[in-house]
Amino acid sequence: MNRKSSITIIAMFIVFVVTINVLNLVTEDKHFSEAENRILAKKPSLTWKSIKNGRFTQRFEDYVTDQFIFRDFWVGLKSDSERLLLKQDNNDVFFGKDDYLLENFNKPKEEIIDRNIANINYYASKLKDMKTYVLLPPTSIKVNENRLPPFATPYDELLTINKMKNNLLNVDFVDVYQTLKDKNDQYLYFRTDHHWTMRGAYYAYEVLAKEMGIKPIPMNEFDTKIVTEEFYGTLYSKANNYHIKPDYIEVFTPAHKTNVQVDYVSENKSSNSLYEEKHLDTKDKYSYFLDGNHPIVTIKSDVSNGRKLMIFKNSYAHCLIPFLVNHYEEIHILDLRFYKMNVYDYISENNITETLFLYDILNFSKDTSLNILNIK
Amino acid sequence: MVFSSLVFLFIFLPITLLLYFLAPRKIRNIILLVVSLVFYAWGEPIYILLMIFSSIVDYTHGMLIEKYREQDKKAKLVVLSSVIINLSLLGFFKYADFMILNINNIFGTTLSELNLPLPIGISFYTFQTMSYTIDVYRRQAPVQKNPIALATYVTLFPQLIAGPIVRYQTIADQINNRKETIDKFAIGLERFILGLGKKVLLANNIGLLWSQIQNTGFDDLTILTAWLGIIAFGFQIYFDFSGYSDMAIGLGKMFGFDFLENFNYPYISTSITEFWRRWHISLGSWFRDYVYIPIGGNRVSKLKVYRNLFVVWFLTGLWHGASWNFVLWGLYFGLIIAVEKAFLLKFINRLWKPIRHVYALLLILIGWVLFSFDNLIDGIEYLKIMFGLGGVPIMNNQFVYYLYTNLILIIILIILSTPIIKKKYEMQVKGHVNSKLQTIVVPSILFLILFISTAYLVDSTYNPFLYFRF
Repeated sequence: MNRKSSITIIAMFIVFVVTINVLNLVTEDKHFSEAENRILAKKPSLTWKSIKNGRFTQRFEDYVTDQFIFRDFWVGLKSDSERLLLKQDNNDVFFGKDDYLLENFNKPKEEIIDRNIANINYYASKLKDMKTYVLLPPTSIKVNENRLPPFATPYDELLTINKMKNNLLNVDFVDVYQTLKDKNDQYLYFRTDHHWTMRGAYYAYEVLAKEMGIKPIPMNEFDTKIVTEEFYGTLYSKANNYHIKPDYIEVFTPAHKTNVQVDYVSENKSSNSLYEEKHLDTKDKYSYFLDGNHPIVTIKSDVSNGRKLMIFKNSYAHCLIPFLVNHYEEIHILDLRFYKMNVYDYISENNITETLFLYDILNFSKDTSLNILNIK
Repeated sequence: MVFSSLVFLFIFLPITLLLYFLAPRKIRNIILLVVSLVFYAWGEPIYILLMIFSSIVDYTHGMLIEKYREQDKKAKLVVLSSVIINLSLLGFFKYADFMILNINNIFGTTLSELNLPLPIGISFYTFQTMSYTIDVYRRQAPVQKNPIALATYVTLFPQLIAGPIVRYQTIADQINNRKETIDKFAIGLERFILGLGKKVLLANNIGLLWSQIQNTGFDDLTILTAWLGIIAFGFQIYFDFSGYSDMAIGLGKMFGFDFLENFNYPYISTSITEFWRRWHISLGSWFRDYVYIPIGGNRVSKLKVYRNLFVVWFLTGLWHGASWNFVLWGLYFGLIIAVEKAFLLKFINRLWKPIRHVYALLLILIGWVLFSFDNLIDGIEYLKIMFGLGGVPIMNNQFVYYLYTNLILIIILIILSTPIIKKKYEMQVKGHVNSKLQTIVVPSILFLILFISTAYLVDSTYNPFLYFRF
């Protein structure tokens, strides 16, 4: 090593380290990361106890990493380097064509699937005088599989959907795969989020309605409005590919408006809109639909046909429920991840006339909250 | 604390360097001792006492050996005492549950496991402190009367956590007589950055591929996928471990120490005998000098030589982990080496070179299967898939996807597993004292590696170090 070279290397290192440290010391700590949608670590307090049990050092390391200057730049740089190496996925999210991020479907644990089959069967047989509808839509990775990078092989969601279909008894299983597949050149799923769009939900609603003996409102009887064009969803944060353009959120309102009263029962608040505007200013814009996840929500509409629907769901339901509201006097929505009381008592107390299970197949295959239905 | 972390790179190391180089030469060892204790305590606030205990034990033993220089019998007992204490420490904290498991299996007892967390670096520092007492006894190094100096040797943070195993005789002189220079510092810094890149940019990434393939159920694997997987593991463990050794050697140089090389392009070997002269060299030579040769080496009857080989390779395997698959891995190589020694090597050396490479790599990869599966049954299942037994398909779409999304990385790994780049570089700079290559290109490349490594560390979701818990 010649002297000039030595000095250059040493100088380069010193300048880099000093600059980073100065910038880190001079800038304030950030509280929340928009990109990662989480609270960033705070400076840990130095106590003898926390040193002894090793927690101080762990928290300090998390603090340094989380508050490192230009964090989003570094994360983006890493993601870019990987794509230079031809990497086509990150954190279980594929980079698809047309700027689609596709969340991978991993082979589900068969015990969970079998358990859920038993749970729903138990429910349906216990309430066999009521209709039970089951809608488990596929997610983007299946419907948009033509947009996957070449040779990518996620587990086939249809295998799980069909297993459910073939083993459920006393239910009306609503299969929407083909319907969605045939229309997949339309904007059915968000490109940066794991949910479907209201448009995708609409086509599923069309199929579901027919099963329910309802005449679906044709699409041309809806007004569509774009409420935001800056939606960076969950997959955007998961995949860290910062060159993807954002989604827009399209809302369908029927030309003949149905008046609703939405009660968020556990939080003691009400609204006469199915949509919560305030979320459009935050990262989690999908919560615009029905204000996100609540344990119990009831929707009373000005429809009077005596039909009262119980919905067990995950967040995929939130942009489909607004369509159903036009056909039911009451809709009761229980999120079994949070509602832990006796479901059957609720059903008889509220004179429910029919039930809908609505979960996207990907999260359904990991969901154990339905076990609560199987109470002997 | 690990080297490949933001806290180390941007806080611990700069502060240490500042303190060290501003301090007068006389107190530099104390500074190293103190920062090394902080470094170790950072990850192990309680077990640091164990390491301090180990150093005190060997300091006193060293002094005792010196005292009993003329009474060889007593001196030998002191060495024995040091070995027993250190091995007991290691045996208890690392192998207690393994022994309990085996006792339960053999005698049908139901002793419960202790579930002690493994003290970081214990496999390394116990071997180092033992080497001190043995080297002093054998007069291969003078006794160290200054406890600070000895403690500095034991706790020296560059090689404390994951080697190389630095024997006392190697640096006995350097403790008090080393010289830090700008050129040496720069060489050390360069070595450190290259090691950092190997670990953070290469090892961690190819490790992701191995992780994905490992998590694929055996029913969904194909022949080529299984091969790709174990090759990925082979790259991961090499770049991870040699990267860490590079960082250790580089840091040592920055402080004026010269450690011995620990890896010498092991994957270009043409035999297993050669492989073990290039892989984890410090461990191999430790076992050779402190176990193999003392029990006779190859200067005894043929039967005893095979016994000696068995002992050494059993222990080498066992050192890597408290599980029978590691022992099997060690004995597997021991057997091959014995066969090579007996006649195979003479035969192989007459073959065309590429065939010899294939021979060695094949055996190495099979070895990695034994190494990476704790459960032998799974390991054998995996080997069966690799060799197409049981009607496994040759490949599938998943394999093609894994291959092309990792192809560039793999090509880089292959090239860097050979000394091609190093040789080309040395040829270029021969005779050109101030070449642009040295003064501009190299620093720029090093900066780039440092810069991108920083990006990966900030993103750090996956930064395990495979040899960490040893």
